[in-house]
Amino acid sequence: MSKSFDVNRREFFQMSGMVGVIGASQSLFPRWMPQLAFRSPERMAAGRGDVLVNIFLRGGMDGLSVVAPFAEGANYYDVRPTIAVPEPGRPNGAIDLDGRFGLHPTLAPLKEIYDQQHLAIVHATGSIDPSRSHFDAMTFMEAGVPGNKTLNTGWIGRHLQAAAWQNDSPFRAVGMGAMIPAALRGPITPLSIRSIADFHFRGREDELHRLQQAISSLYTIQAPTNQLERQAGLVFKTIATLDQLQATDYQPANGAQYPDDEFGLGLKQVAQLIKADVGLEVACVDLGGWDTHENQGTLAGEFNTLLTTLSNGLAAFYHDLRDYMAGVTVVTMSEFGRRAHENGSQGTDHGHGNVMFLMGGGVNGGQVHARWPGLAPEALDDGDLAITTDYRDVLAAVVSRRLRNPALDQIFPGYRPGAVDVVKERG
Amino acid sequence: MTLSRRNFLQLQLAPSTQSAAAPPLTITPIVHLLNRITWGPRPEEVAHAEAIGYEAVLEEQLAPESLDDQAADAELARLPILFMDRATVHALPSPEYRTFKALVEGMVVRAVYSRRQLLERVVEFWADHFNIPTEGYSQELVSFQRDVIRRHALGNFRDLLIATAQHPAMLYYLDNANNLAEAPNENYARELLELYTLGVDGGYTEDDVKAAARAFTGWTVHNKTPTGFYFNAGNHDTGSKTLLGHTLPAERGLEDGLQVLSIAANHPATAHFLSYKLARRFVSDQPPASLVDQLATVWQASRGDIKTVLRTLFLSAEFKNATGQKFRRPLDFFIGALRATGTRTRHWWLFEELLNNLGQMPYGWAPPNGYPDVAGAWMGTGGLLARWMVAMRLTHGAVSDASDWGWGFTTDLRQRIGDPQTVGELVDAVATQLFGAPLTGDPRQFFVTYVTEDGNAQAPMSLRLLGQKLGSLYGLMLASPYYQWR
Repeated sequence: MSKSFDVNRREFFQMSGMVGVIGASQSLFPRWMPQLAFRSPERMAAGRGDVLVNIFLRGGMDGLSVVAPFAEGANYYDVRPTIAVPEPGRPNGAIDLDGRFGLHPTLAPLKEIYDQQHLAIVHATGSIDPSRSHFDAMTFMEAGVPGNKTLNTGWIGRHLQAAAWQNDSPFRAVGMGAMIPAALRGPITPLSIRSIADFHFRGREDELHRLQQAISSLYTIQAPTNQLERQAGLVFKTIATLDQLQATDYQPANGAQYPDDEFGLGLKQVAQLIKADVGLEVACVDLGGWDTHENQGTLAGEFNTLLTTLSNGLAAFYHDLRDYMAGVTVVTMSEFGRRAHENGSQGTDHGHGNVMFLMGGGVNGGQVHARWPGLAPEALDDGDLAITTDYRDVLAAVVSRRLRNPALDQIFPGYRPGAVDVVKERG
Repeated sequence: MTLSRRNFLQLQLAPSTQSAAAPPLTITPIVHLLNRITWGPRPEEVAHAEAIGYEAVLEEQLAPESLDDQAADAELARLPILFMDRATVHALPSPEYRTFKALVEGMVVRAVYSRRQLLERVVEFWADHFNIPTEGYSQELVSFQRDVIRRHALGNFRDLLIATAQHPAMLYYLDNANNLAEAPNENYARELLELYTLGVDGGYTEDDVKAAARAFTGWTVHNKTPTGFYFNAGNHDTGSKTLLGHTLPAERGLEDGLQVLSIAANHPATAHFLSYKLARRFVSDQPPASLVDQLATVWQASRGDIKTVLRTLFLSAEFKNATGQKFRRPLDFFIGALRATGTRTRHWWLFEELLNNLGQMPYGWAPPNGYPDVAGAWMGTGGLLARWMVAMRLTHGAVSDASDWGWGFTTDLRQRIGDPQTVGELVDAVATQLFGAPLTGDPRQFFVTYVTEDGNAQAPMSLRLLGQKLGSLYGLMLASPYYQWR
């Protein structure tokens, strides 16, 4: 094949100048399409709570390296000869938080937020089900019911369903990525978006409007009867709103710099949706790859790369949204922690207790909330950090105090959450 | 506090919100079979199957070596990497990138062009079941996919399982290559029981996982052996082990791991779990228990003969009653569209971009459980919009078949529809290409009205009208809800 016949990527997109994109300037949306009916910010504010950003760290994050219990001494350092985070003050040592626990040094950008009391840490927390299977543990955690695999709604989906207010926006719940996180499943159909900038209807200019109308008619959007048709209706509503956001021009505030990866893009887009006031209540963002069975390392390796992404992403989100943080709560979780002892591959196998981060203006930050069970051999749960705070206690505090939804019996059925003082009552 | 049944049901989504509307068309049992055992049947495949009959075409597909495959072989000739041995692959310049490209293109080329369509679908099933991503493993994946998955796809499950366990791709991916007596690494042992054999509810315990991990200590990779597999006796835990009711005596070596694989492969829970997964893939998202039980019985009687189990599945009444119940995954959609439109490109990166937009790059799923199989995972807004855009992109250029100017693709839509004399005939011809049968009722009328505004199915077709509408008619039918199910 002659080289000159090859079309490179840039040339291709130049040629594609003939492609039409339906934009905000054109009033194209068919008359039958329901107009977006957002409630005014004042009315929303009366009932609505914080925007919740739920970050799922998939693969089982090693909480004992993320927030190192350095005060455990030999119980920590002897079982982790190659991967333990050194004590504060030593080279590459942990960043002391309270004399007991220290942040991994790569998480330094979060220390400032911790000191401003906008970052709270919960340790020895997690899902009490004993499963060490990634897939079961994630299913249980996202369903909000440990041990139950047949429930087809998620805890956030049930929160949205049970909320006293019913926002009409298609943006109530957004999953950043190609798939819908299981936590969002429920009767309020969530959006899945990978890229706001690409969420447009494109096609041949002379046919574009007719094609769009034809597709909407094909999916009988006026009276959606099944899940696929509801999704189609949401696609058109979403396009209509996102076309007005001019995603490519977005400039984060306060010099915030998001990591140049899918996680960073996801958080940046959440920030954009929050600022645009499109009715976002819950956003889910994933960061996977924490299954560090081998060569976990401390300051080099895949684990540290992930920590860098997590840390820079959270810090950028915080600074970008500094003026909005009073109404935003970020919660991180992971399906389980990792075994106290490192394995023979300088990694860690699947464990149990872990850490959660909470970030926002309404958290009781600047402290590590822990009923700390310790790492003494007799304190371990089958070789792992024990769980002394059910993750649902943490989420229940967020849901009731920050999201202002009292329907905990529907969100966490069969469970009466204990009180953990991780967030303040929203005023 | 316990969860009563009534409360529990209130927390569930009502079934009606999950199921699909039945497509407004009636397909024959043979089209249904081909919808499931091919990547989207071509008209000549439908005609051939109708000529020889349901059982004969199934037997033909179950014996892929009997089918001449020159068309696919000719396409694959431009991907020599797929035929290289491990050492040659490792010696390539930029091996990660080049093997990734070859694996993805090879997967799509085979799915589109091979006559051994059932083999390709079963290869897909096992590639998901024993999922290993290209990211980080693409060099090893070349021989893993060829010498393990493809070779054993229609063979015996135990042989397949052992071949996966001993391949460097698996040894690296789940860390068995670094599993030492003094500190066992449980990663492989756990997924062996949970994902590959018994299933998470198959009745094993944490102690079984730990014992299995010890049995595999010493398994590793050495590049001087023919396959890359090497058993390093010095790293093996020679103590006795007990798992799943079996005792492995002390002072043994390689045979510990092999025995664990046999115990797991022959376990009744494995027969049930694999039967369930096959039925979920090929029949419906919630396959009838009667069928799963029957397949599990056949699995055990045949000691995991994959071909025998599949034959039973495709001949069952449960299968024949399950028309239109599988939601196309993005790859089903994409490859089906390529087959139905005859799309070709000289710019392979365009296909990669579309696969990426659709959200299912071949071998692109990082965790070991493989891309999700069920509809709920794939119905998101982003995915749906991506399908519509891909349908439009592939059919834009159809106005003029000879040129891909501006679009990067050529199709042969014109050759596929015969010589329709009326708008109704055109709509029926395109629908038959895509769905295996004409649409009826309102959906048919909708497309007629799209072609000619007066909605007259008897209106004569002109070349001009054909040139204007053929591409977008294909595009719309691909974008329609009817094409999302099969």
